[in-house]
Amino acid sequence: MRLFKLTLSTIFRRKSWAISALLVLVFPFVLPYLSSGAENPVLFEPALAQAAWSMAWLSTIFWGFFAAAKAGDANARSGLGEYFLTTGVSATRQLLEIWAAVTTFVAPLGLAAALVCIFAASPSLADERIMWINANLQYALLFALVVAPLIALAVAVSSRFGSLTGFLTSAGLTVYGLYGVGYMKMLLSVESSPLMTWLWSVSPHYHFADPTERLRYKLGAIDGGQFPLLLAYFAGILLLYVAISRLLFRTKVTA
Amino acid sequence: MSDGTPQLTLSPGLTIGYQTPLAKTEATISLEPGTHFLLARNGRGKTTLLRTIARSLRQLNGSVEFTGRMQYIPEDLRFDEEIPVSSIFKAMIPKARLATAMELAERIELDLKKPYGKLSTGNRRKTSLIVAEYSLDPSAANILLLDEPFSGLDAYARTAFENIWKLSADKILRLVSCHPDYDSMAMPSALLIQNGSIQHTCDTAQTWSQLKSQLN
Repeated sequence: MRLFKLTLSTIFRRKSWAISALLVLVFPFVLPYLSSGAENPVLFEPALAQAAWSMAWLSTIFWGFFAAAKAGDANARSGLGEYFLTTGVSATRQLLEIWAAVTTFVAPLGLAAALVCIFAASPSLADERIMWINANLQYALLFALVVAPLIALAVAVSSRFGSLTGFLTSAGLTVYGLYGVGYMKMLLSVESSPLMTWLWSVSPHYHFADPTERLRYKLGAIDGGQFPLLLAYFAGILLLYVAISRLLFRTKVTA
Repeated sequence: MSDGTPQLTLSPGLTIGYQTPLAKTEATISLEPGTHFLLARNGRGKTTLLRTIARSLRQLNGSVEFTGRMQYIPEDLRFDEEIPVSSIFKAMIPKARLATAMELAERIELDLKKPYGKLSTGNRRKTSLIVAEYSLDPSAANILLLDEPFSGLDAYARTAFENIWKLSADKILRLVSCHPDYDSMAMPSALLIQNGSIQHTCDTAQTWSQLKSQLN
């Protein structure tokens, strides 16, 4: 676990994780004052919930994937990947250790957003509060399931093609999955195309893991029958990305 | 207690290189515990041979066999610029050996609190060498491959590492590529790469002064 400890220590020492923590833990209490939540108290809590989850996604995209890409790139280019390989730490294990270290910092962002929502924006009615807690915990789990394979992908792509490509791949896929597929559906409703329909269906539908709409309109927790399907869907994406990541990952730049 | 003795055998005809052959062995080369120097002029294949032995690079022909736990320290091994030396040691060196490693670092004037990016070339090299030496498993047979460990290192630090090597010469096999900077440096066992040929020469009285004249 030496590579895990080294990566963990490196990320911690860079201190940029503190900005993400600040964004998720403090900004949700500030941002609603800049929105209509400041004028209408009823809207304050939904605005806080929306801000908490938006900050979690934003931090993950701009900091988490950057940290992952930098770690994968550095491992291949610094000679560390080669060093560990000669000591018997296989490429698969190196990918796993770097991934675990980055995920240790990134996955709690979803949990932090959920806890902010639970402790600072829970509805006053007992039934609604239980639903609210369930919904937030469900989305914390979905968040981790979505983010984990994207971290592996950022590490792997950057080890082969450089940190910028690694970062852009995971960040681009996330933004596309959260918002792009929605726009594509709108386009399809205007003009149908078999190619676009196919593209839409094979796209990663990360918007299913974004709770902002559900929390804003207090739609309750995800239905008990639907939630396992969502878990299975994102687990499928996880397996696919893990396989691609392992194929792309390399421990050194030269032959 | 050491679990076995480290051994390294290069088969006759072992050919190293990337796509075209760079050098090859004529006869079997067997190395036992102790320090063995790898000498050649620039671009003759020192790093290529070390990487081939470390299984980081595939040989073009022949085979490398070894008994022991391998560790190869590339010449350009580096850590994150912002991480202090103490954190590198804490992550890389087993707890049981950490205090001794820190003591050595202080003795050779390696600032443990300084971020790695602010270290001089010599101090970066000290960091890599300490990581290598104190990552060795005392209960196992160890093979340590060091690529140019002395470049940028001051004489005091070099002597400190040479003393460590002498003390553990019966348990650890070290293959060290270098360009020595003093003629009287003793090299009782050396691998030379010259004219595309890898040869092993042993003589207890052998020094760098005698060996360098053989390099072309």
